[in-house]
Amino acid sequence: MNADMAAMIWLGLGVYLGLGLLIGLGVAAFGLTRLTPGAAHMPWRVRLLILPGLTALWPVVLLRLAGVRPKEDRP
Amino acid sequence: MAASFTLVGWNRFKRSYDVALIAGIVLFFAAHVGAGILGTPAGQAPSELQVVIRASGAAAFSLLTFILCIGPLARLTPRALPLLYNRRHLGVACFLIALVHGALVVLWYHGFSQVNAFISLLVSNPRYDSFGGFPFESLGLGALLILFVMAATSHDFWNAVLGPRLWKALHMGVYAAYGLLVAHVMLGAAQGETGLVQAALAGGSALIVAGLHVAAGQREAARDGAAADPGEGWLDAGLAAEIADGRAVIIVPPEGERIAVFRDGAKVYAVANACRHQGGPLGEGRILDGCIVCPWHGFQYRPEDGCSPPPYTEKIQTYRTRITEGRVFVEAAPQPPGTAIAPSVIGEAG
Repeated sequence: MNADMAAMIWLGLGVYLGLGLLIGLGVAAFGLTRLTPGAAHMPWRVRLLILPGLTALWPVVLLRLAGVRPKEDRP
Repeated sequence: MAASFTLVGWNRFKRSYDVALIAGIVLFFAAHVGAGILGTPAGQAPSELQVVIRASGAAAFSLLTFILCIGPLARLTPRALPLLYNRRHLGVACFLIALVHGALVVLWYHGFSQVNAFISLLVSNPRYDSFGGFPFESLGLGALLILFVMAATSHDFWNAVLGPRLWKALHMGVYAAYGLLVAHVMLGAAQGETGLVQAALAGGSALIVAGLHVAAGQREAARDGAAADPGEGWLDAGLAAEIADGRAVIIVPPEGERIAVFRDGAKVYAVANACRHQGGPLGEGRILDGCIVCPWHGFQYRPEDGCSPPPYTEKIQTYRTRITEGRVFVEAAPQPPGTAIAPSVIGEAG
């Protein structure tokens, strides 16, 4: 691996997580109840706690927001 | 069990658990740092930062080894169940220690490089085509990323959003992380002056983890083999009288998940064996106050419909049962989660 390739890896990771952070902040503020009704009235400190997960798994989060439910919850 | 999401559902046991965890980590660091400073000949002493780097690496690896032993131990002896109750805090602690280790490594070994420290981390050893000389730093980085995802999704919120199967599959990544860490130690710390000791400790730890998993798997396989007996869509769960009151036998259908067949007095019920929370073995739990209680974290389900009592909303699959000549038969096909099914009653004509 050379320096250019290493830079690309870090850039890719940074873009993925940066995008995830933006999406995660939006979801933590406005979209949690669309993910699970149990998140209604979730305190802000809990929203902050789950923000790293929203950042890391934002593609799955977007799928859930689009209505793709977990296998167990499908009729 | 919680109807809404909180930061941590604290109780006395969890507090005691975390106090023991913190005390254990502090003691480990004190012993490791002390041995690192006192056990090195004068003139060859590493810097304080290097000692902390080694101690944090050893602590994260040891903690992950311990975490991986808890699951099979809990299958082998109920006495290990309390360790399992708050295992996620161990996982988060392990990630945080590993993060400290990684941050200090970047700072100490790559922070003074001519190139960016993070790029240096990946290219300082370019032997990616070598087996014995593979850059162990990249292996550690891979493990750290996996531990991050697991720690970040350890809250119950993620179990609800991802669903138990995906959540479980994601968290099985811990084995990949552990494999990467074993290789990280073998190709890194084990190549130093105390290499043999490091290699023996890492290899021995991996053998213990593997051995416990094999032992637990064999025990489960032996039990499964004795229980299942498929025939015309119904499974023979054995004699009703042999099911202890308030307890269950676990049977394995030809396809699908294990089934827990519970007896509550004269009534017999069958539900999915996997808890909706973290897949705990409900059939190893018991019925208390009319509800099945998961042995792992205390989640509860009514045996008659597989629903958690209000205000909780978890549901598991239920199964039809019948009793013929004293033997319990369970329909192999599950009913949708939360479906109410009348129990079979011991002593009534089947």
